Amino acid sequence: MQANLSLRLSQKRDLTADICEFTFVAADGAPLPRFEAGAHLTIETPSGAWRSYSLNNDDGETSRYVIAVKREEQGRGGSLSLHRQLHVDQLVHARAPHNGFALVSAPRYLLIAGGIGITPMLSMLRRLRRQGCDVHMVYLTRSRDMAAYADLLESPEFSGLVTLHHDHGDPKRTYDFWPLFATPDDRHIYFCGPPALMNAIYLRTIHWPRRQIHSESFSGVDAQDGQASAFRLRRASTGETFDIAADKSILDVLRDRRIAFASSCESGTCGTCKVPLVAGEPDHRDLCLSEEERQSAFIPCVSRALSDEITLDI
Amino acid sequence: MIEGRIDSLYRYPVKGLTGEMLQRVSLVAGEGFPADRLFGFVRHGSGFDPARPQPLPKDRFLMLMKDERLAGLEASFDPANWHFDVRVQGHLVHRADLSRQDGRDATEAFFATMFDIPHEEMPRFVHAAPHRFTDVSVVSSGLMNAVSLINLESLRDFEMRLGKEVLPARFRANIYFDGWPAFSELELVGREIMIGEARAIVTLRTRRCAATEVNPRTARRDIPVPRLLMQHYGHSDLGIYAEIQDDAVIEPGSRISVMGAN
Repeated sequence: MQANLSLRLSQKRDLTADICEFTFVAADGAPLPRFEAGAHLTIETPSGAWRSYSLNNDDGETSRYVIAVKREEQGRGGSLSLHRQLHVDQLVHARAPHNGFALVSAPRYLLIAGGIGITPMLSMLRRLRRQGCDVHMVYLTRSRDMAAYADLLESPEFSGLVTLHHDHGDPKRTYDFWPLFATPDDRHIYFCGPPALMNAIYLRTIHWPRRQIHSESFSGVDAQDGQASAFRLRRASTGETFDIAADKSILDVLRDRRIAFASSCESGTCGTCKVPLVAGEPDHRDLCLSEEERQSAFIPCVSRALSDEITLDI
Repeated sequence: MIEGRIDSLYRYPVKGLTGEMLQRVSLVAGEGFPADRLFGFVRHGSGFDPARPQPLPKDRFLMLMKDERLAGLEASFDPANWHFDVRVQGHLVHRADLSRQDGRDATEAFFATMFDIPHEEMPRFVHAAPHRFTDVSVVSSGLMNAVSLINLESLRDFEMRLGKEVLPARFRANIYFDGWPAFSELELVGREIMIGEARAIVTLRTRRCAATEVNPRTARRDIPVPRLLMQHYGHSDLGIYAEIQDDAVIEPGSRISVMGAN
Protein backbone atom coordinates (compact mmCIF):
# COMPACT_ATOMS: atom_id res chain seq x y z
CA MET A 1 0.00 0.00 0.00
CA GLN A 2 1.10 3.56 -0.72
CA ALA A 3 2.11 5.82 2.11
CA ASN A 4 0.43 9.18 1.86
CA LEU A 5 1.76 11.05 4.89
CA SER A 6 5.26 11.78 6.06
CA LEU A 7 5.39 12.36 9.83
CA ARG A 8 8.17 13.45 12.16
CA LEU A 9 8.36 12.16 15.72
CA SER A 10 8.41 15.32 17.80
CA GLN A 11 8.17 13.84 21.27
CA LYS A 12 8.53 10.44 22.92
CA ARG A 13 7.86 9.78 26.59
CA ASP A 14 7.25 6.78 28.85
CA LEU A 15 3.79 6.69 30.41
CA THR A 16 4.23 3.42 32.32
CA ALA A 17 6.84 0.68 32.46
CA ASP A 18 5.67 -0.70 29.11
CA ILE A 19 3.57 2.04 27.50
CA CYS A 20 5.24 4.80 25.54
CA GLU A 21 3.61 7.88 24.04
CA PHE A 22 4.61 9.09 20.56
CA THR A 23 3.71 12.55 19.26
CA PHE A 24 3.95 13.07 15.51
CA VAL A 25 3.80 16.26 13.46
CA ALA A 26 3.80 16.73 9.69
CA ALA A 27 7.34 16.48 8.30
CA ASP A 28 6.75 19.69 6.36
CA GLY A 29 5.16 21.46 9.33
CA ALA A 30 1.81 21.84 7.57
CA PRO A 31 -1.53 21.09 9.27
CA LEU A 32 -2.38 17.40 9.41
CA PRO A 33 -5.50 15.81 7.92
CA ARG A 34 -8.30 16.02 10.47
CA PHE A 35 -9.39 12.95 12.39
CA GLU A 36 -12.35 12.04 14.56
CA ALA A 37 -12.20 10.62 18.07
CA GLY A 38 -11.96 6.84 17.82
CA ALA A 39 -9.83 6.92 14.68
CA HIS A 40 -6.56 5.07 14.28
CA LEU A 41 -3.34 5.99 12.56
CA THR A 42 -1.53 3.39 10.49
CA ILE A 43 2.23 3.82 10.45
CA GLU A 44 5.25 2.01 9.15
CA THR A 45 7.17 0.86 12.20
CA PRO A 46 10.98 0.63 12.11
CA SER A 47 10.57 -3.17 11.82
CA GLY A 48 9.02 -2.58 8.40
CA ALA A 49 5.60 -3.79 9.56
CA TRP A 50 2.61 -1.47 9.23
CA ARG A 51 0.60 -1.18 12.45
CA SER A 52 -2.52 0.75 13.47
CA TYR A 53 -2.81 2.64 16.75
CA SER A 54 -5.71 4.68 18.10
CA LEU A 55 -5.16 8.42 18.27
CA ASN A 56 -5.67 9.75 21.78
CA ASN A 57 -5.35 13.52 21.48
CA ASP A 58 -8.28 15.89 21.00
CA ASP A 59 -9.74 15.56 17.53
CA GLY A 60 -9.95 19.33 17.33
CA GLU A 61 -6.17 19.45 16.95
CA THR A 62 -4.56 19.54 13.51
CA SER A 63 -0.98 20.14 14.61
CA ARG A 64 -0.19 16.66 15.93
CA TYR A 65 -1.15 13.00 16.17
CA VAL A 66 -0.61 11.36 19.56
CA ILE A 67 -0.56 7.59 20.07
CA ALA A 68 0.40 5.41 23.02
CA VAL A 69 1.89 2.01 22.33
CA LYS A 70 2.23 -0.90 24.69
CA ARG A 71 5.40 -2.89 24.24
CA GLU A 72 4.42 -6.44 23.35
CA GLU A 73 7.44 -8.61 24.14
CA GLN A 74 5.69 -11.61 22.59
CA GLY A 75 4.25 -9.65 19.68
CA ARG A 76 5.29 -9.62 16.07
CA GLY A 77 7.86 -6.89 16.54
CA GLY A 78 6.01 -3.71 15.51
CA SER A 79 5.60 -2.27 19.01
CA LEU A 80 9.08 -3.34 20.10
CA SER A 81 10.65 -1.57 17.16
CA LEU A 82 8.72 1.62 17.93
CA HIS A 83 9.87 1.56 21.53
CA ARG A 84 13.49 0.75 20.78
CA GLN A 85 14.31 2.09 17.35
CA LEU A 86 12.18 5.17 16.72
CA HIS A 87 13.79 8.35 18.03
CA VAL A 88 12.78 12.00 18.13
CA ASP A 89 13.10 13.79 14.76
CA GLN A 90 13.01 10.57 12.76
CA LEU A 91 10.50 10.39 9.92
CA VAL A 92 7.87 7.69 9.43
CA HIS A 93 5.46 6.87 6.64
CA ALA A 94 1.80 6.85 7.58
CA ARG A 95 -1.64 6.67 6.10
CA ALA A 96 -4.28 9.29 6.90
CA PRO A 97 -6.34 8.40 10.00
CA HIS A 98 -9.33 6.16 9.51
CA ASN A 99 -12.27 5.83 11.87
CA GLY A 100 -14.13 2.56 12.38
CA PHE A 101 -15.24 3.48 15.90
CA ALA A 102 -16.95 6.84 15.57
CA LEU A 103 -18.96 8.60 18.27
CA VAL A 104 -22.61 8.97 17.44
CA SER A 105 -24.76 11.74 18.83
CA ALA A 106 -26.29 10.63 22.14
CA PRO A 107 -27.86 12.16 25.25
CA ARG A 108 -25.31 10.50 27.56
CA TYR A 109 -22.15 8.47 27.17
CA LEU A 110 -20.46 5.74 29.20
CA LEU A 111 -16.87 5.03 28.17
CA ILE A 112 -15.10 1.93 29.47
CA ALA A 113 -11.41 1.35 28.98
CA GLY A 114 -9.28 -1.59 30.05
CA GLY A 115 -5.49 -1.24 30.00
CA ILE A 116 -4.14 0.08 26.70
CA GLY A 117 -7.77 0.31 25.54
CA ILE A 118 -7.64 3.79 27.09
CA THR A 119 -6.24 5.26 23.86
CA PRO A 120 -9.40 5.70 21.72
CA MET A 121 -11.44 6.38 24.87
CA LEU A 122 -9.20 9.25 25.87
CA SER A 123 -9.71 10.98 22.55
CA MET A 124 -13.46 10.51 22.90
CA LEU A 125 -13.41 11.81 26.46
CA ARG A 126 -11.48 14.92 25.43
CA ARG A 127 -13.95 15.74 22.70
CA LEU A 128 -17.10 15.01 24.74
CA ARG A 129 -15.78 17.12 27.62
CA ARG A 130 -14.93 19.97 25.25
CA GLN A 131 -18.44 19.81 23.80
CA GLY A 132 -20.02 19.79 27.26
CA CYS A 133 -21.62 16.35 26.81
CA ASP A 134 -22.78 14.16 29.68
CA VAL A 135 -20.01 11.58 29.90
CA HIS A 136 -18.64 9.13 32.47
CA MET A 137 -15.53 7.03 31.98
CA VAL A 138 -14.54 3.86 33.82
CA TYR A 139 -10.87 3.01 33.41
CA LEU A 140 -9.64 -0.36 34.65
CA THR A 141 -6.03 -1.41 35.10
CA ARG A 142 -4.28 -3.87 37.31
CA SER A 143 -2.54 -1.16 39.32
CA ARG A 144 -2.16 2.61 39.24
CA ASP A 145 1.43 2.22 37.99
CA MET A 146 0.07 0.48 34.92
CA ALA A 147 -2.55 3.13 34.15
CA ALA A 148 -1.36 5.33 31.30
CA TYR A 149 -2.61 8.92 31.65
CA ALA A 150 -3.77 8.35 35.26
CA ASP A 151 -2.37 11.74 36.34
CA LEU A 152 -4.15 13.50 33.51
CA LEU A 153 -7.44 11.76 34.23
CA GLU A 154 -7.22 12.71 37.91
CA SER A 155 -6.42 16.34 37.08
CA PRO A 156 -9.01 19.12 37.49
CA GLU A 157 -9.59 19.05 33.74
CA PHE A 158 -11.44 15.74 34.05
CA SER A 159 -12.64 16.10 37.63
CA GLY A 160 -15.75 14.06 38.35
CA LEU A 161 -15.81 12.41 34.95
CA VAL A 162 -13.57 9.40 35.49
CA THR A 163 -13.64 6.34 37.77
CA LEU A 164 -10.27 4.62 38.00
CA HIS A 165 -10.29 1.09 39.37
CA HIS A 166 -7.40 -1.27 40.01
CA ASP A 167 -8.01 -4.93 40.85
CA HIS A 168 -4.36 -5.77 41.70
CA GLY A 169 -4.90 -9.13 39.99
CA ASP A 170 -7.36 -10.18 42.67
CA PRO A 171 -10.61 -11.66 41.26
CA LYS A 172 -12.42 -10.50 44.41
CA ARG A 173 -11.61 -6.90 43.49
CA THR A 174 -12.92 -7.13 39.93
CA TYR A 175 -14.92 -4.03 39.07
CA ASP A 176 -18.66 -4.61 39.42
CA PHE A 177 -20.21 -3.28 36.21
CA TRP A 178 -23.68 -4.48 37.01
CA PRO A 179 -25.04 -1.23 38.54
CA LEU A 180 -24.09 0.51 35.26
CA PHE A 181 -25.74 -2.07 33.02
CA ALA A 182 -28.77 -3.33 34.97
CA THR A 183 -31.37 -1.20 33.22
CA PRO A 184 -31.02 -0.09 29.60
CA ASP A 185 -31.59 3.67 29.31
CA ASP A 186 -30.49 6.44 26.96
CA ARG A 187 -26.73 6.00 27.43
CA HIS A 188 -24.49 4.92 24.60
CA ILE A 189 -21.70 2.64 25.82
CA TYR A 190 -18.27 2.64 24.17
CA PHE A 191 -15.67 0.13 25.29
CA CYS A 192 -12.20 -1.03 24.41
CA GLY A 193 -9.87 -3.38 26.23
CA PRO A 194 -8.45 -6.89 26.40
CA PRO A 195 -10.61 -9.79 25.13
CA ALA A 196 -11.73 -10.92 28.61
CA LEU A 197 -13.09 -7.45 29.33
CA MET A 198 -14.73 -7.18 25.91
CA ASN A 199 -16.46 -10.53 26.42
CA ALA A 200 -17.57 -9.66 29.94
CA ILE A 201 -19.14 -6.40 28.78
CA TYR A 202 -20.75 -8.05 25.74
CA LEU A 203 -22.46 -10.61 27.98
CA ARG A 204 -23.47 -8.07 30.65
CA THR A 205 -25.02 -5.71 28.09
CA ILE A 206 -26.70 -8.47 26.09
CA HIS A 207 -30.15 -7.01 26.88
CA TRP A 208 -29.21 -3.50 25.65
CA PRO A 209 -30.16 -2.21 22.21
CA ARG A 210 -27.25 -2.85 19.84
CA ARG A 211 -27.35 0.67 18.47
CA GLN A 212 -26.24 1.90 21.90
CA ILE A 213 -23.36 -0.54 22.33
CA HIS A 214 -20.13 0.30 20.54
CA SER A 215 -16.81 -1.46 20.62
CA GLU A 216 -13.82 -1.72 18.35
CA SER A 217 -15.18 -4.42 16.15
CA PHE A 218 -13.56 -6.64 13.63
CA SER A 219 -16.56 -6.70 11.33
CA GLY A 220 -16.07 -8.38 8.06
CA VAL A 221 -15.08 -11.70 9.58
CA ASP A 222 -18.03 -14.05 9.53
CA ALA A 223 -18.76 -17.48 10.91
CA GLN A 224 -17.29 -18.96 7.75
CA ASP A 225 -13.91 -17.46 8.66
CA GLY A 226 -13.92 -15.43 5.49
CA GLN A 227 -13.31 -11.76 4.97
CA ALA A 228 -16.46 -10.00 3.89
CA SER A 229 -16.85 -6.67 2.17
CA ALA A 230 -19.83 -4.61 1.13
CA PHE A 231 -21.31 -4.82 -2.38
CA ARG A 232 -24.47 -3.97 -4.28
CA LEU A 233 -27.21 -6.38 -5.27
CA ARG A 234 -29.33 -5.74 -8.36
CA ARG A 235 -32.69 -7.47 -8.62
CA ALA A 236 -33.09 -8.54 -12.23
CA SER A 237 -36.89 -8.52 -12.20
CA THR A 238 -37.27 -4.88 -11.13
CA GLY A 239 -33.84 -3.29 -11.52
CA GLU A 240 -33.90 -2.30 -7.83
CA THR A 241 -30.53 -2.20 -6.08
CA PHE A 242 -29.72 -3.03 -2.48
CA ASP A 243 -26.57 -2.21 -0.56
CA ILE A 244 -25.27 -5.31 1.21
CA ALA A 245 -23.11 -4.27 4.17
CA ALA A 246 -20.08 -6.34 5.16
CA ASP A 247 -21.85 -7.77 8.20
CA LYS A 248 -25.12 -8.61 6.40
CA SER A 249 -26.09 -11.39 4.03
CA ILE A 250 -28.22 -10.83 0.93
CA LEU A 251 -30.91 -12.80 2.71
CA ASP A 252 -30.75 -10.49 5.75
CA VAL A 253 -31.14 -7.40 3.60
CA LEU A 254 -34.01 -8.76 1.53
CA ARG A 255 -35.79 -9.98 4.62
CA ASP A 256 -35.46 -6.54 6.21
CA ARG A 257 -37.05 -5.15 3.08
CA ARG A 258 -39.87 -7.68 3.40
CA ILE A 259 -38.99 -9.52 0.23
CA ALA A 260 -40.29 -13.03 0.84
CA PHE A 261 -37.75 -15.77 0.48
CA ALA A 262 -37.65 -19.48 1.15
CA SER A 263 -34.64 -20.36 3.26
CA SER A 264 -33.73 -22.94 5.81
CA CYS A 265 -30.20 -23.64 7.00
CA GLU A 266 -28.79 -20.12 6.43
CA SER A 267 -25.35 -21.65 6.35
CA GLY A 268 -24.97 -22.54 2.67
CA THR A 269 -25.59 -26.25 3.07
CA CYS A 270 -29.21 -27.03 2.18
CA GLY A 271 -29.82 -25.16 -1.09
CA THR A 272 -33.35 -23.99 -0.20
CA CYS A 273 -32.65 -20.36 -1.06
CA LYS A 274 -30.97 -21.08 -4.44
CA VAL A 275 -31.58 -18.38 -7.09
CA PRO A 276 -30.44 -17.88 -10.69
CA LEU A 277 -27.25 -15.87 -11.13
CA VAL A 278 -27.59 -13.28 -13.91
CA ALA A 279 -24.48 -11.09 -13.90
CA GLY A 280 -21.50 -10.09 -11.80
CA GLU A 281 -18.62 -12.01 -10.33
CA PRO A 282 -19.87 -14.27 -7.54
CA ASP A 283 -18.00 -15.24 -4.39
CA HIS A 284 -19.60 -18.66 -3.92
CA ARG A 285 -19.45 -19.65 -0.26
CA ASP A 286 -22.00 -22.44 -0.28
CA LEU A 287 -21.32 -26.14 0.13
CA CYS A 288 -24.27 -27.40 -1.89
CA LEU A 289 -23.86 -26.32 -5.52
CA SER A 290 -21.76 -28.28 -8.01
CA GLU A 291 -19.14 -26.43 -10.03
CA GLU A 292 -21.46 -26.68 -13.01
CA GLU A 293 -24.41 -25.27 -11.06
CA ARG A 294 -22.25 -22.41 -9.87
CA GLN A 295 -22.11 -21.07 -13.41
CA SER A 296 -25.79 -20.13 -13.25
CA ALA A 297 -26.96 -20.43 -9.63
CA PHE A 298 -26.23 -18.66 -6.37
CA ILE A 299 -26.90 -19.26 -2.67
CA PRO A 300 -27.79 -15.88 -1.14
CA CYS A 301 -27.70 -16.89 2.54
CA VAL A 302 -23.89 -17.06 2.49
CA SER A 303 -22.50 -16.16 -0.92
CA ARG A 304 -21.30 -12.67 -1.75
CA ALA A 305 -19.86 -10.75 -4.68
CA LEU A 306 -16.27 -10.20 -5.75
CA SER A 307 -17.41 -7.47 -8.14
CA ASP A 308 -18.97 -4.23 -6.88
CA GLU A 309 -22.35 -5.39 -8.10
CA ILE A 310 -24.07 -8.71 -8.65
CA THR A 311 -27.40 -9.34 -10.38
CA LEU A 312 -29.69 -12.13 -9.26
CA ASP A 313 -33.06 -13.28 -10.55
CA ILE A 314 -35.09 -12.78 -7.40
CA MET B 1 -29.83 -55.08 19.17
CA ILE B 2 -28.30 -51.68 19.68
CA GLU B 3 -28.81 -50.44 23.19
CA GLY B 4 -27.97 -47.18 24.86
CA ARG B 5 -29.05 -45.03 27.77
CA ILE B 6 -30.72 -41.67 28.04
CA ASP B 7 -28.22 -39.11 29.29
CA SER B 8 -30.44 -36.07 29.81
CA LEU B 9 -33.85 -34.61 28.99
CA TYR B 10 -34.74 -31.03 28.10
CA ARG B 11 -37.72 -28.99 27.12
CA TYR B 12 -37.76 -25.51 25.63
CA PRO B 13 -41.10 -23.99 26.65
CA VAL B 14 -40.44 -20.77 24.71
CA LYS B 15 -38.96 -21.18 21.24
CA GLY B 16 -35.44 -19.77 21.05
CA LEU B 17 -35.02 -19.36 24.80
CA THR B 18 -33.31 -21.31 27.55
CA GLY B 19 -33.92 -25.02 27.88
CA GLU B 20 -35.06 -26.61 31.11
CA MET B 21 -33.50 -29.87 32.27
CA LEU B 22 -36.02 -32.48 33.35
CA GLN B 23 -35.57 -35.47 35.67
CA ARG B 24 -38.66 -37.35 34.49
CA VAL B 25 -40.86 -37.01 31.45
CA SER B 26 -44.22 -38.63 30.75
CA LEU B 27 -44.36 -39.37 27.05
CA VAL B 28 -47.79 -39.55 25.49
CA ALA B 29 -48.55 -41.39 22.25
CA GLY B 30 -48.83 -38.98 19.33
CA GLU B 31 -47.58 -36.00 21.32
CA GLY B 32 -44.29 -34.20 21.55
CA PHE B 33 -42.34 -33.43 24.69
CA PRO B 34 -44.63 -31.99 27.38
CA ALA B 35 -44.70 -28.17 27.21
CA ASP B 36 -41.98 -28.07 24.56
CA ARG B 37 -42.08 -25.03 22.24
CA LEU B 38 -45.69 -24.21 22.98
CA PHE B 39 -44.79 -20.53 23.25
CA GLY B 40 -42.85 -18.15 21.11
CA PHE B 41 -42.24 -14.56 20.11
CA VAL B 42 -43.17 -13.89 16.49
CA ARG B 43 -41.80 -10.97 14.54
CA HIS B 44 -44.03 -8.20 13.34
CA GLY B 45 -45.97 -9.13 10.23
CA SER B 46 -45.52 -12.88 10.77
CA GLY B 47 -49.15 -13.54 9.90
CA PHE B 48 -49.62 -15.90 12.84
CA ASP B 49 -53.25 -16.28 13.91
CA PRO B 50 -53.63 -18.11 17.25
CA ALA B 51 -57.24 -18.96 16.37
CA ARG B 52 -56.11 -20.76 13.21
CA PRO B 53 -52.50 -21.69 13.92
CA GLN B 54 -50.48 -22.57 10.85
CA PRO B 55 -46.83 -23.61 10.99
CA LEU B 56 -44.47 -20.71 10.31
CA PRO B 57 -40.91 -20.78 9.00
CA LYS B 58 -38.44 -20.34 11.83
CA ASP B 59 -37.22 -16.96 10.62
CA ARG B 60 -40.60 -15.46 11.58
CA PHE B 61 -39.71 -15.96 15.26
CA LEU B 62 -37.15 -14.48 17.54
CA MET B 63 -34.67 -17.34 17.42
CA LEU B 64 -31.00 -18.14 17.63
CA MET B 65 -30.36 -18.46 13.92
CA LYS B 66 -30.82 -14.70 13.54
CA ASP B 67 -30.70 -13.45 17.11
CA GLU B 68 -27.70 -15.13 18.69
CA ARG B 69 -27.82 -12.78 21.66
CA LEU B 70 -30.84 -14.72 22.92
CA ALA B 71 -28.28 -17.30 24.05
CA GLY B 72 -26.97 -14.72 26.53
CA LEU B 73 -30.30 -14.62 28.38
CA GLU B 74 -31.19 -17.10 31.10
CA ALA B 75 -34.94 -17.30 30.70
CA SER B 76 -37.28 -19.32 32.84
CA PHE B 77 -40.91 -19.81 31.99
CA ASP B 78 -43.32 -21.84 34.08
CA PRO B 79 -45.87 -23.42 31.72
CA ALA B 80 -48.20 -23.93 34.72
CA ASN B 81 -48.67 -20.27 35.66
CA TRP B 82 -46.91 -18.44 32.80
CA HIS B 83 -44.52 -16.62 35.09
CA PHE B 84 -41.52 -15.49 33.09
CA ASP B 85 -38.12 -14.37 34.39
CA VAL B 86 -35.09 -13.27 32.44
CA ARG B 87 -31.63 -13.08 33.94
CA VAL B 88 -28.37 -11.72 32.57
CA GLN B 89 -25.24 -13.20 34.13
CA GLY B 90 -27.33 -14.22 37.13
CA HIS B 91 -29.03 -10.83 37.58
CA LEU B 92 -32.80 -10.53 37.18
CA VAL B 93 -33.52 -8.05 34.38
CA HIS B 94 -37.16 -8.81 33.59
CA ARG B 95 -40.07 -10.46 35.39
CA ALA B 96 -43.60 -10.72 34.07
CA ASP B 97 -46.79 -12.72 34.26
CA LEU B 98 -47.49 -13.68 30.65
CA SER B 99 -51.07 -14.63 31.45
CA ARG B 100 -51.79 -10.89 31.82
CA GLN B 101 -51.86 -8.33 29.03
CA ASP B 102 -49.59 -5.92 30.92
CA GLY B 103 -47.06 -8.71 31.43
CA ARG B 104 -47.10 -9.57 27.73
CA ASP B 105 -46.78 -5.88 26.78
CA ALA B 106 -43.81 -5.39 29.09
CA THR B 107 -42.13 -8.55 27.79
CA GLU B 108 -42.66 -7.64 24.15
CA ALA B 109 -41.16 -4.22 24.96
CA PHE B 110 -38.19 -5.92 26.64
CA PHE B 111 -37.34 -7.84 23.46
CA ALA B 112 -38.05 -4.85 21.22
CA THR B 113 -35.52 -2.83 23.25
CA MET B 114 -32.95 -5.61 23.18
CA PHE B 115 -33.19 -6.04 19.40
CA ASP B 116 -33.60 -2.37 18.39
CA ILE B 117 -37.09 -3.07 17.08
CA PRO B 118 -39.22 0.07 16.55
CA HIS B 119 -42.36 0.43 18.61
CA GLU B 120 -44.67 -0.17 15.66
CA GLU B 121 -42.96 -3.46 14.87
CA MET B 122 -43.00 -5.07 18.31
CA PRO B 123 -42.62 -8.85 18.41
CA ARG B 124 -45.68 -10.62 19.78
CA PHE B 125 -45.94 -13.37 22.40
CA VAL B 126 -47.91 -16.24 20.91
CA HIS B 127 -49.26 -19.62 21.91
CA ALA B 128 -51.94 -21.82 20.42
CA ALA B 129 -51.55 -25.14 22.25
CA PRO B 130 -51.52 -27.89 21.18
CA HIS B 131 -49.77 -26.14 18.28
CA ARG B 132 -46.00 -26.29 18.70
CA PHE B 133 -43.41 -23.94 17.25
CA THR B 134 -40.87 -26.61 16.37
CA ASP B 135 -38.66 -25.97 13.33
CA VAL B 136 -40.03 -29.05 11.57
CA SER B 137 -43.66 -28.08 12.21
CA VAL B 138 -43.61 -26.75 8.65
CA VAL B 139 -42.97 -30.27 7.33
CA SER B 140 -46.03 -32.05 8.78
CA SER B 141 -48.29 -32.07 11.83
CA GLY B 142 -46.78 -35.42 12.80
CA LEU B 143 -43.32 -33.84 12.89
CA MET B 144 -44.67 -30.84 14.80
CA ASN B 145 -45.27 -33.35 17.58
CA ALA B 146 -42.08 -35.34 17.16
CA VAL B 147 -39.35 -35.40 19.81
CA SER B 148 -35.77 -34.57 18.91
CA LEU B 149 -32.84 -36.79 19.84
CA ILE B 150 -29.07 -36.44 19.79
CA ASN B 151 -26.66 -39.36 19.95
CA LEU B 152 -23.74 -38.09 22.06
CA GLU B 153 -21.46 -40.62 20.37
CA SER B 154 -22.06 -38.85 17.04
CA LEU B 155 -21.25 -35.55 18.67
CA ARG B 156 -18.02 -36.97 20.10
CA ASP B 157 -17.04 -38.22 16.65
CA PHE B 158 -17.66 -34.72 15.26
CA GLU B 159 -15.67 -33.13 18.11
CA MET B 160 -12.78 -35.49 17.46
CA ARG B 161 -12.69 -34.57 13.79
CA LEU B 162 -12.78 -30.86 14.62
CA GLY B 163 -10.38 -31.13 17.54
CA LYS B 164 -12.58 -28.86 19.61
CA GLU B 165 -15.44 -28.97 22.03
CA VAL B 166 -18.96 -28.74 20.61
CA LEU B 167 -21.45 -28.23 23.44
CA PRO B 168 -24.49 -30.52 23.17
CA ALA B 169 -26.68 -27.55 24.16
CA ARG B 170 -26.11 -26.07 20.69
CA PHE B 171 -28.50 -28.64 19.30
CA ARG B 172 -31.41 -27.97 21.66
CA ALA B 173 -32.63 -31.58 21.62
CA ASN B 174 -35.26 -33.08 23.90
CA ILE B 175 -33.41 -36.35 24.47
CA TYR B 176 -29.63 -36.73 24.62
CA PHE B 177 -28.56 -40.35 24.71
CA ASP B 178 -25.40 -42.37 24.61
CA GLY B 179 -24.27 -45.83 23.63
CA TRP B 180 -25.17 -46.16 19.95
CA PRO B 181 -22.42 -46.21 17.33
CA ALA B 182 -21.72 -42.73 15.95
CA PHE B 183 -24.22 -41.69 13.30
CA SER B 184 -25.98 -45.07 13.30
CA GLU B 185 -29.15 -43.18 14.24
CA LEU B 186 -29.23 -41.51 10.83
CA GLU B 187 -29.85 -44.89 9.17
CA LEU B 188 -33.05 -45.53 11.08
CA VAL B 189 -35.58 -43.36 9.28
CA GLY B 190 -38.80 -45.37 8.99
CA ARG B 191 -37.70 -47.81 11.70
CA GLU B 192 -39.05 -48.39 15.17
CA ILE B 193 -36.97 -47.71 18.27
CA MET B 194 -37.72 -48.06 21.97
CA ILE B 195 -37.38 -45.01 24.22
CA GLY B 196 -37.83 -46.47 27.67
CA GLU B 197 -41.01 -48.51 27.35
CA ALA B 198 -42.39 -46.39 24.50
CA ARG B 199 -42.20 -47.41 20.88
CA ALA B 200 -41.24 -44.57 18.58
CA ILE B 201 -40.90 -44.26 14.80
CA VAL B 202 -37.87 -42.39 13.48
CA THR B 203 -39.31 -39.97 10.94
CA LEU B 204 -36.56 -37.54 9.94
CA ARG B 205 -32.86 -36.83 10.14
CA THR B 206 -32.25 -33.39 11.63
CA ARG B 207 -30.62 -31.13 9.07
CA ARG B 208 -28.80 -28.52 11.10
CA CYS B 209 -29.14 -24.80 10.52
CA ALA B 210 -27.07 -21.76 11.44
CA ALA B 211 -28.63 -21.64 14.92
CA THR B 212 -26.06 -24.30 15.88
CA GLU B 213 -23.23 -21.88 15.08
CA VAL B 214 -24.07 -20.01 18.28
CA ASN B 215 -22.02 -20.93 21.33
CA PRO B 216 -24.46 -21.11 24.27
CA ARG B 217 -21.73 -19.95 26.68
CA THR B 218 -20.56 -16.86 24.81
CA ALA B 219 -23.74 -15.99 22.85
CA ARG B 220 -21.59 -15.53 19.77
CA ARG B 221 -21.29 -17.48 16.56
CA ASP B 222 -18.04 -19.40 16.51
CA ILE B 223 -18.15 -22.89 14.98
CA PRO B 224 -19.88 -23.10 11.55
CA VAL B 225 -21.49 -26.42 12.44
CA PRO B 226 -23.60 -27.11 9.31
CA ARG B 227 -20.66 -26.37 7.02
CA LEU B 228 -18.27 -28.50 9.04
CA LEU B 229 -20.73 -31.40 9.12
CA MET B 230 -20.97 -31.12 5.35
CA GLN B 231 -17.20 -31.07 4.99
CA HIS B 232 -16.61 -34.03 7.28
CA TYR B 233 -19.59 -36.25 6.50
CA GLY B 234 -21.00 -35.06 3.18
CA HIS B 235 -24.30 -34.05 4.81
CA SER B 236 -25.35 -31.55 7.47
CA ASP B 237 -27.44 -33.92 9.58
CA LEU B 238 -26.94 -34.45 13.29
CA GLY B 239 -29.75 -35.99 15.32
CA ILE B 240 -33.15 -37.43 14.49
CA TYR B 241 -36.83 -36.81 15.09
CA ALA B 242 -39.10 -39.59 16.32
CA GLU B 243 -42.86 -39.87 16.80
CA ILE B 244 -43.98 -41.44 20.05
CA GLN B 245 -46.31 -44.46 19.76
CA ASP B 246 -46.96 -45.37 23.42
CA ASP B 247 -47.37 -43.67 26.76
CA ALA B 248 -44.35 -44.13 29.02
CA VAL B 249 -42.30 -42.43 31.68
CA ILE B 250 -38.63 -41.87 30.86
CA GLU B 251 -35.71 -40.47 32.84
CA PRO B 252 -31.94 -40.22 32.58
CA GLY B 253 -30.64 -43.78 32.58
CA SER B 254 -33.67 -45.20 30.75
CA ARG B 255 -32.85 -47.62 27.93
CA ILE B 256 -32.99 -46.51 24.35
CA SER B 257 -32.70 -49.28 21.79
CA VAL B 258 -33.20 -50.42 18.23
CA MET B 259 -35.06 -53.67 17.89
CA GLY B 260 -33.67 -56.26 15.55
CA ALA B 261 -30.58 -54.31 14.55
CA ASN B 262 -27.37 -56.18 13.83
